[in-house]
Amino acid sequence: MRFNLVLDLQDVPGKLMEALEPMGRLGANIVAVIHQRDIKTERGTVPVQITIEGDKETLDRVMDALESKDIQIMEVDGVLRKEQITTVLVGDIVEKDVQDTVARLNQLEGVRVADLDLKMSDKPENSATKMVMEADFGLKKQILKNIKKLGSEKGFLVINEV
Amino acid sequence: MKIVILGFGAVGQGVARVISMKKDYLRSKYGLKPQIVAVCDHSGAAIKEEGLDEKLLLETKTEKGKISLYPSYGAPGVDSLQVLEDVEYDCLVEVTPTDIDDGEPARSHILKAMEDGKDVVTSNKGPLALSFQELGDCAGKNGVELKFEACVGGAMPIINFAHETLAGCNIESIYGILNGTTNYILSRMANEGSSYEQTLQEAQEMGIAETNPYQDVEGIDAACKIVIMANSILNLPVTLKDVDVEGISRITSESIALAKKEGMLIKLIGEASPDALEVSPRLVRQGSPFAVEGTLNVATLKTDLADDVTVVGKGAGSVETASAILSDIVSIWKIRK
Ligand SMILES: NC(=O)c1ccc[n+]([C@@H]2O[C@H](COP(=O)([O-])OP(=O)(O)OC[C@H]3O[C@@H](n4cnc5c(N)ncnc54)[C@H](OP(=O)(O)O)[C@@H]3O)[C@@H](O)[C@H]2O)c1
Repeated sequence: MRFNLVLDLQDVPGKLMEALEPMGRLGANIVAVIHQRDIKTERGTVPVQITIEGDKETLDRVMDALESKDIQIMEVDGVLRKEQITTVLVGDIVEKDVQDTVARLNQLEGVRVADLDLKMSDKPENSATKMVMEADFGLKKQILKNIKKLGSEKGFLVINEV
Repeated sequence: MKIVILGFGAVGQGVARVISMKKDYLRSKYGLKPQIVAVCDHSGAAIKEEGLDEKLLLETKTEKGKISLYPSYGAPGVDSLQVLEDVEYDCLVEVTPTDIDDGEPARSHILKAMEDGKDVVTSNKGPLALSFQELGDCAGKNGVELKFEACVGGAMPIINFAHETLAGCNIESIYGILNGTTNYILSRMANEGSSYEQTLQEAQEMGIAETNPYQDVEGIDAACKIVIMANSILNLPVTLKDVDVEGISRITSESIALAKKEGMLIKLIGEASPDALEVSPRLVRQGSPFAVEGTLNVATLKTDLADDVTVVGKGAGSVETASAILSDIVSIWKIRK
């Protein structure tokens, strides 16, 4: 079977070799590598498309090995990989704040607010909201930073994941 | 080994207790004969060159409240710097209260001892959180040891663990629950659904939170520990003012309930990493190493070779904290004997 992976690589010497190493070691056949250094993402990384041949188990092992090297896999066979991010905000939150916050988060590229929960309190400043987001792989740190900024602007306490 | 103890509260008394309990063990296992030659509190000192009796020290402090009333060898009104000047000793155990504005009186005690060529063991976070580099330089210049295992996580081994047991690993970042009082409050709130104010009050009644809980609940205590670990383990020359600090006083039962629905808990987490130096309430997964309850402390070290290593232990307590001080005394002894 053939699999197409898109990796998110830092544009520094040696990174591509580092990404290819586990493929050879774990017995996947490397069919093609498309490495266009002039196309960069917003983060300054280079998307590299790699086609490998092997069984599903080999693919899984390759993906584990890449992740343990902190190499982000953005796409597998044309499907964007997602990760879930949860955050809780505390403060005098009203419906409008929630809508506004969701709208601003949805504006970020690669992010979608998937679930929302609001718990009002008798003391308005004790109210809380929980948001669960789905984001493209590798965006987590950036999103958490954005949420922190958004929340602080509105005077909310932002409780992010570790 | 001749020891001076400055401060004779919970930790100072714990030190006297463990030295008394472990006398035979220390002698047979390490050939170490610790002698407490002087002890100071607010009232003055007790000084005896051939060694004070630990049991009598504890009895005097418990019954009379003042160490200077130690029979025959009490020295009322004698000040601690004078004691360091007059008494012959090898190692200072500095266990006076933590001050986060100027680190005094501990800062002067520690500097004086080191400049006089004495080794120092302390549980006092103030001076280290404010001027770690200066104290480290002073120790280096004078060729003495400055050990502070008890400052971070009380009995939970972390500083020496990182330096000795994990020697050879590069430690990239540290995450931890570093304050027992706040962990107790947050655990109770999660289990009982109670409010922050009510839970804090209960914790105060039980003696877990102090009458003035400010440094604990606002994250200052945890921030001091993050600074000490960032300096000592990650080699980052930072001080308390470099830490972004948010405590737990804004945490509500509503927010904890929402987190729980998602299988998560809210914990006060300290982080020292190349990305951040901060103390803040964070979401952690139930069942993860950070989901510890009660007054326990926990820290995870992210390393290059050993991956994640996590330690858990009691962050406070008289004898528990003294155990960390004793381990520092033993390692100094191993260097000096
Ligand atoms: N308690 C713990 O579990 C724990 C854990 C880790 C670290 N620590 C740290 O360890 C240190 C000691 O804690 P603790 O709980 O033992 O505090 P404590 O019970 O308040 O005892 C402090 C002692 O220092 C004495 N003292 C204050 N100022 C002094 C001075 N200028 N000269 C000489 N003695 C002085 C006090 O004298 P009087 O008795 O006359 O008032 C008292 O005996 C603190 O820095 C704390 O942050 C404590």
